[in-house]
Amino acid sequence: MKRLSYFLFSFFSLALLSSHDLYLKLDSYFLEPNTTSALQLFNGTFDRSENVIDRDRMLDVSIAYAGQRIQAAQQDWFEKDSITYLTITTEGEGTYVAGVSTKPRVLSMSAEDFNDYLEHDGVLDVLESRQENDQLNDAATEEYSKHVKSIFQVGKTRSSDYGVQFGYPIEFVALNNPYDLHPGEEFRTQLLFQDAPLANQLVYLGYQPPALTHTHDGSTHTHEQDQDHEHSDLIPYRTDENGELNVALDKPGVWYLRTIHLVDSNEEGLTHQSNWATLTFAVADYHQHEDSSLVYLYILGSLLFIGILYFVFSTKKA
Amino acid sequence: MIAGFTLIHDVTLADRRILEGGNFFDYIWVGAKHMLTGYDHLLFLLGVVFFLTSIKDIVRFITAFTIGHSITLIGATSIQFGVNEFIIDAIIGLSVFYKGFENLDLFKKWLGIAAPNLLYMVFLFGLIHGLGLSARLQGMTQVSELSFLKTIGFNLGVELGQILALIPMVWLINFWRKRSNFGALFKAVNTYLLVAGIVLLVIQLKHFFEH
Repeated sequence: MKRLSYFLFSFFSLALLSSHDLYLKLDSYFLEPNTTSALQLFNGTFDRSENVIDRDRMLDVSIAYAGQRIQAAQQDWFEKDSITYLTITTEGEGTYVAGVSTKPRVLSMSAEDFNDYLEHDGVLDVLESRQENDQLNDAATEEYSKHVKSIFQVGKTRSSDYGVQFGYPIEFVALNNPYDLHPGEEFRTQLLFQDAPLANQLVYLGYQPPALTHTHDGSTHTHEQDQDHEHSDLIPYRTDENGELNVALDKPGVWYLRTIHLVDSNEEGLTHQSNWATLTFAVADYHQHEDSSLVYLYILGSLLFIGILYFVFSTKKA
Repeated sequence: MIAGFTLIHDVTLADRRILEGGNFFDYIWVGAKHMLTGYDHLLFLLGVVFFLTSIKDIVRFITAFTIGHSITLIGATSIQFGVNEFIIDAIIGLSVFYKGFENLDLFKKWLGIAAPNLLYMVFLFGLIHGLGLSARLQGMTQVSELSFLKTIGFNLGVELGQILALIPMVWLINFWRKRSNFGALFKAVNTYLLVAGIVLLVIQLKHFFEH
């Protein structure tokens, strides 16, 4: 099974380089309360954004925290290079969820381009169906929209907001808090389509090691990756009959899920409709929640404790 | 102080980066570093060498500990035997408590029985410490990347780290042994081992039940 995963993963590592996924990302998924940071909208691959998203395409931009859902203001967005940024200021401690849902667009493709896209983006069920039904020579006109979420942690206190449902046409809803997890533990999520569980759907799990994101002089940034290293941990999964997915997160770092739900369409002028979803979050290192200054406090405390005991026993003896 | 105990095996991101695609010598380096920053292993070793006055005894007991942890570190890693890190760290905490308890002669004073054979116990705790080291090594890197040679490298690093830690420990204890107030220091350090062992045990069990 593992071998099959590695094989499929090797296949997709090359193929997905040209995909146009949408991801909501942060330089660091561990923020402090009352600080300003920037959510980044990557349109392309997880590692490289190829173009910005026009603001009029955004149907919804939400941030959920402490049981509330806040809509982001237009003026908080800015674009730089090919990345769209949203400035956010955190409030209290807790687990936050950010989400972006885009308006549908229509794209017409030749049969060859459509087949390539299905193959490269891992929409293998539809490709297989086209092969079986002798439709590989059919051109396509597809209406697509993208719906992305990111879960991040502010301060140390975790909250139940991780499981918020934004009501997007398709979305991943976390069933446990990734910031409660340590490397080696399982993350559970449910994939919803039109508010109902989406069973037997192909979902890909990706990973970015923490080495690529680190802090210099108080600011956290992500290094550019070389192309060969992209999608180095992409693993295919399928949702179960309840639309649920359990994935083992064996390492600390940034993890992401992506899926494309593509179906035939009966609407006039369309052959297909697709909804794309991604979810990004991070898994802390085993000790990342702890304050390293406590080590020194522990050493000093231990020495002080031994010193006091030594004094007591010396005095007793005298 | 309590939270500090959870950092006893701080596996840094830098270590992970070293091990990702690392060679034999990288594994030696991380193994040595891990031992030198592994307070629980060091506290246990401190307890072991406290009563030993001759080089012959030190070599005998440290060899028993080394054989013990090498067996489980190499064996468990080779067969990818996974143990819960919190449980094994809790037992390692218990080993620290045990050594303080034994050094203070509390088996006799409190329980009215003779302490179990120390050499066997050191070997047994060596096996347990090795399982903890194996769990950490398997957690630090992808198991598929771990070759037998790299595991040996990590184990060799652990031994080097152990020797480096033992040199100042043995020197300090022998230095103090000649002084009149060695008895007070002996009681103070071993009482500390009792407390530290219990705190380690409680903290790791707390983590286990939380996660």
